[in-house]
Amino acid sequence: MAAAPASPALRAAKSCKKQRTVKRQTGVYTYQEPPHSNSEDDAGEEKAESHDPEQIFQNIQYQKEIMSNIRCRPWPMRQKLRALRQAKEIVLKYEGRLTRTRGYQAAGAELWKKFLRLAYNFVVIFIPWEMRIKKIESHFGSGVASYFIFLRWLFGINIVLTIMTGAFVVLPELLAGAPFGSTLSKTIPKEHIASAQDLDTIWSLGGYLQYSVLFYGYYGRDRKIGKAGYRLPLAYFLVGMAVFAYSFIILLKKMAKNSRMSLASASDENYTFCWRLFCAWDYLIGNPEAAESKAAAIVNSIREAILEEQEKKKSKNLAVTISLRIIANILVLLSLAGSIYIIYFVVDRSQRLERTKKELTLWEKNEVSVVVSLITMIAPSAFELVAALEMYHPRTTLRFQLARVLVLYLGNLYSLIIALLDKVDSMSVTNSVCEDSDVNNDASNSTTSLATNTLSKDDNLTLPNVQIQRNGFVMSEEHRTQGLTDSLVNQTISFNTQNPQDQCWETYVGQEMLKLSIIDMIFTVASILLIDFFRGLCVRYLSDCWCWDLESKFPEYGEFKIAENVLHLVYNQGMIWMGAFFSPCLPAFNVLKLIGLMYLRSWAVLTCNVPHQQVFRASRSNNFYLAMLLFMLFLCMLPTIFAIARYKPSLSCDFIAPSYNKLTMFHNTQIPDKLRTSEVTHITPFTSSMLIYYLQSIARSLKFTNNQLRMKIQTERTEDKKKVVQMAVGKDLESSYNNFCFLARIQNLDANDKRPEQETDIISQESSVRSSTPRKNGSVLNFESPVSKGTRIQTISQSVPQAVPATDVVRPANATPTTSTSLTPAPSVSSVQKPRNDHITNRYPSVVHRSASELCKTKPYTPVTFKKHTEDVHSDPLFRKAIRQVNSDALGAGAPVFLGCRPYATRYFLVNENESRKKSLRSTSRLQRHFRKEEPGDIIELYPRHIRRYVVRTPHQMYSPHPSEDEEDEEELEKEFMNRSHRPRSLSDLRPASRFYIGDRADGHILMSKDLARVHYKSWDDGFELDLDRPPYAYKKVHLNYPEPRVKPKSKQKLEQSLTESDSISIESSSDPQNSSNDQYIQVIHTKDKYPKTGAKLTKKKSKNSIDLSMPEPSELVCSNV
Amino acid sequence: MRWKSKPPCSQKSQEPTSLSLCLRLFHRYRDLAPQLVPLDYTDKPAVTLPYELIGSMPELKDNPFRQRIAEVFSEHGDGNMTLDDFLDMFSVLSEMAPRDLKAYYAFKIYDFNNDDYICKSDLEKTVNKLTRNELTPEEISLVCEKVIYEADVDNDGKLSLADFQHMIVRAPDFLSTFHIRI
Repeated sequence: MAAAPASPALRAAKSCKKQRTVKRQTGVYTYQEPPHSNSEDDAGEEKAESHDPEQIFQNIQYQKEIMSNIRCRPWPMRQKLRALRQAKEIVLKYEGRLTRTRGYQAAGAELWKKFLRLAYNFVVIFIPWEMRIKKIESHFGSGVASYFIFLRWLFGINIVLTIMTGAFVVLPELLAGAPFGSTLSKTIPKEHIASAQDLDTIWSLGGYLQYSVLFYGYYGRDRKIGKAGYRLPLAYFLVGMAVFAYSFIILLKKMAKNSRMSLASASDENYTFCWRLFCAWDYLIGNPEAAESKAAAIVNSIREAILEEQEKKKSKNLAVTISLRIIANILVLLSLAGSIYIIYFVVDRSQRLERTKKELTLWEKNEVSVVVSLITMIAPSAFELVAALEMYHPRTTLRFQLARVLVLYLGNLYSLIIALLDKVDSMSVTNSVCEDSDVNNDASNSTTSLATNTLSKDDNLTLPNVQIQRNGFVMSEEHRTQGLTDSLVNQTISFNTQNPQDQCWETYVGQEMLKLSIIDMIFTVASILLIDFFRGLCVRYLSDCWCWDLESKFPEYGEFKIAENVLHLVYNQGMIWMGAFFSPCLPAFNVLKLIGLMYLRSWAVLTCNVPHQQVFRASRSNNFYLAMLLFMLFLCMLPTIFAIARYKPSLSCDFIAPSYNKLTMFHNTQIPDKLRTSEVTHITPFTSSMLIYYLQSIARSLKFTNNQLRMKIQTERTEDKKKVVQMAVGKDLESSYNNFCFLARIQNLDANDKRPEQETDIISQESSVRSSTPRKNGSVLNFESPVSKGTRIQTISQSVPQAVPATDVVRPANATPTTSTSLTPAPSVSSVQKPRNDHITNRYPSVVHRSASELCKTKPYTPVTFKKHTEDVHSDPLFRKAIRQVNSDALGAGAPVFLGCRPYATRYFLVNENESRKKSLRSTSRLQRHFRKEEPGDIIELYPRHIRRYVVRTPHQMYSPHPSEDEEDEEELEKEFMNRSHRPRSLSDLRPASRFYIGDRADGHILMSKDLARVHYKSWDDGFELDLDRPPYAYKKVHLNYPEPRVKPKSKQKLEQSLTESDSISIESSSDPQNSSNDQYIQVIHTKDKYPKTGAKLTKKKSKNSIDLSMPEPSELVCSNV
Repeated sequence: MRWKSKPPCSQKSQEPTSLSLCLRLFHRYRDLAPQLVPLDYTDKPAVTLPYELIGSMPELKDNPFRQRIAEVFSEHGDGNMTLDDFLDMFSVLSEMAPRDLKAYYAFKIYDFNNDDYICKSDLEKTVNKLTRNELTPEEISLVCEKVIYEADVDNDGKLSLADFQHMIVRAPDFLSTFHIRI
């Protein structure tokens, strides 16, 4: 093996590259590989021969890759297991050869991975309600689950808020603050002590509750508390702001993340129908009702899509719908206005009642909260009814509905807060009056002007009743009226000063918000029980004895309305944000509320709900929820900050004000003008920083999506290119070049030995490697043998590149559709493996010839290269080749062809030949006939397509049929001799022919025939990789083929088994005649070296002409050689 | 039960989660037919559960494609599953399976006639199963046409695996919906 020393390094390098590419492609095309677990075995065997640590490492890496992504392969479990086991064995076996450190590193990485997984599993245990949510998800799909996930997320936020307020405000106050009853603000006024423990008072958050850490007014005025001098007022203020800041940041973060995800994934809207069909079914659904409603939802969505499709085509009669929509919107606006008015009216009325009546009934006390909650419950249903008028697309209906409900909630909250602020106004007015001398007229004026409406109404009624009624929670509204006239104010002042906390509007607001939250919770529970549970019970148990089907008609089961429920959560959270500053324990309360809600809701959903029909998909809606929440946060923050900044802190319970002054954080009470400016200057930086953060996060997400889109464009482009290439290849196939993939498919299909004739033709034309398959068809033994030989030879030679080509060869044999690559890799294999076959073929022209011809096609390049690159070195191999060639030549037609091929496998061939010479005749004879009949026509057709090799091959093929006949008939034998002579020429020619082919291409595409030829040769020698790149089909095919090598090893094994047989066959036929012709062939070879330069042009022309031309050419060449 | 007894589990034990999942799956499998499935799998008994049992699992029984799923994952395409097939099925349908793999099997599931293409008849079957025959034939044919029009990249009138993957990989909901929790 003269060639061996020169090339191994190159080969190794190439092989590494190949393996890498293989890996890459396997990653991408995993599913395309047919599952052949044996591939690992073969790979292992191949590697076993090599001692190059780099190769071993590559192999191990490869095996490890198999192990790591074994689960990504679409193989049946059994195959996966086998492959995994083999890969592990190989890794175990060879890892020791490398440095231990790599192994340790890998093991360490694996351990770390395990540990991470364990840790993750451990952490999952502590994710609250994970299993519950999963269960819901599996019953109702991801839409409903998204509500609970949202709920859980809110729960998390509230936990943090609770910790913040608890740790920095409540706990310090409890631990270090002045004890209950020690100061005026912490003692219950004497008048109220008697009623402080009444249920009534407690219910209205008065009494002991009012004078507790729950509310703003309780916190002491000391600047520092405790021994350490904890600045509670400062902490309180900062925490109040931090609540907003934290909510903002966490919300924006989440939004940015979500938008990143959603933007990244959802871009093409071109697949509406596809997605509605193929992604419609939620495989998580595991209960019949959910399945039914899901099916209904799918029907809806499909109909919807059809409608949309039809609406695109025709324009509707819009007059009616537009008028209907206008009416509907007017109705909605009216109901919104009505609800706002009602709330305002109720607040107003309650204030009046407090003034006029001494004893308020329970209803009168809770009127406001109840009315607000009722409106929030009823109005959405009303909107839904109205929305039916509009006849919108369901999705837009849902959007409208959500928007309206959100507006309603906001309107409610705002009217409530405005009404409260009115009250606050009056309180602050009284306070400012109380402060007497320094009363800032501006502020009072402005506040009174705001409150004028209510006050003007109240004037007449309230003036007479100056009596002060201090019910726990509706305390000091009287003050408002008094604010109008100083005299009255003075009277009230005397009263007011008696219990300072009653004047504390902050406490009042806090109370109201907490009360609202409590009532909301009660109503939620009630509605769940009534609307869902009892309705479900009734429907379930009364439907039997009812006149219509309750389950499917009117009452039905309650649906889980995701949108409204989510909005409710948003609304609830808005209340918390609004009141958190005034009632530090509100977040804590909300945490409890959310926990209860989670359990109650999940229970209700699982027991008595069916999913909403309009499925509100989780993936798209998440950010919508968050956007609403953000909107809510904004709007809730505004009144709170406004109240804090706008109104003077109430005198009696203002504990922050002193620190304000010191910190210059807030207004200076003495200078009202500055006060306002300072408000602005203090608020603007805060809000602007929020704004900046928001914009920044959005910019970040946009940047991310930008990158994503760019990537997408790139991949799209490459895909387009691929398509173009495919198209081009397809056209070429049709027109001039054979579509290798196509042929390969055909071969594969036919590989079952049923259509040997056609297959042989195709195969011969296509590729030498494939030709082996037809042989198999004809005679299984022969086919297998060449491959096996090739593997042996390769292993002996030790070079990695050989192993790779061998695998390639095996692939085509296995009938893998894409054999284009096989052409290129084949030469090496064929060169090594096929000489034996060639011998066989020589003796048994039909089958053998085909193989031989293929081999020759592939091989001719290699011999040439040898000559060029390493002529000196290869001289020995040439001789060997000559000897072997002689053997082949003796057979007649096939021998010369083999000459080129032999140099690689010469040593082995000799041995093989001696061993096997007696078996092949039968198989060959059968095949030969087939070939004769069918091949010629096929060949003719094929020629134009495979310009390169086909020309070369076709002559061989032509020969092959003839020789078979020759064996049978003496006359034919003579002709065959001629043919044979052609063959050797062809073989000799083949090398030139290969050049010619190249040249042919050069004619068509590239002019550099010589250079190309050289390059080709080199590439062939190196490992045939370069060739792959050149042919147009190579691109795709390369991808396809590479993943296959692993698969193909099976074929190799088979081949090996059969090898012995085929070898023996070949040996018989070839011995004598080959020897005789050795000299001539050697000469031929030498001449061939020269051919490319001189004869390339000639050959090109000839090849262009047709097969016929090729036939005469070889003869001529043979003559010259002889 | 011995841990060694389940070869597939021990093989895949490199990932702890898959081991636990494996165990759970084995128990689920066994619960389907305790009299048929032995606890000891060391000698690899050739136990096959009929489709009727597989299809009656709560995770599958409401799935319109349960029959197809079982057929695709069963070794002989008849819906009867060995433990290996069973593990296979739920590993593909688990959350951890990569998207390409899921897409591959989704394609196979929707390819009712096993011709490696989703053609119109496959689509019609899919629509009918999804909608429980509630659509009119005109609607169905319209949907099928639109689907092919949208996703057929190479214009051969049917969806190849490449077409399907090209389409499904872009679907935002595919990963979240194409899995079964067990």
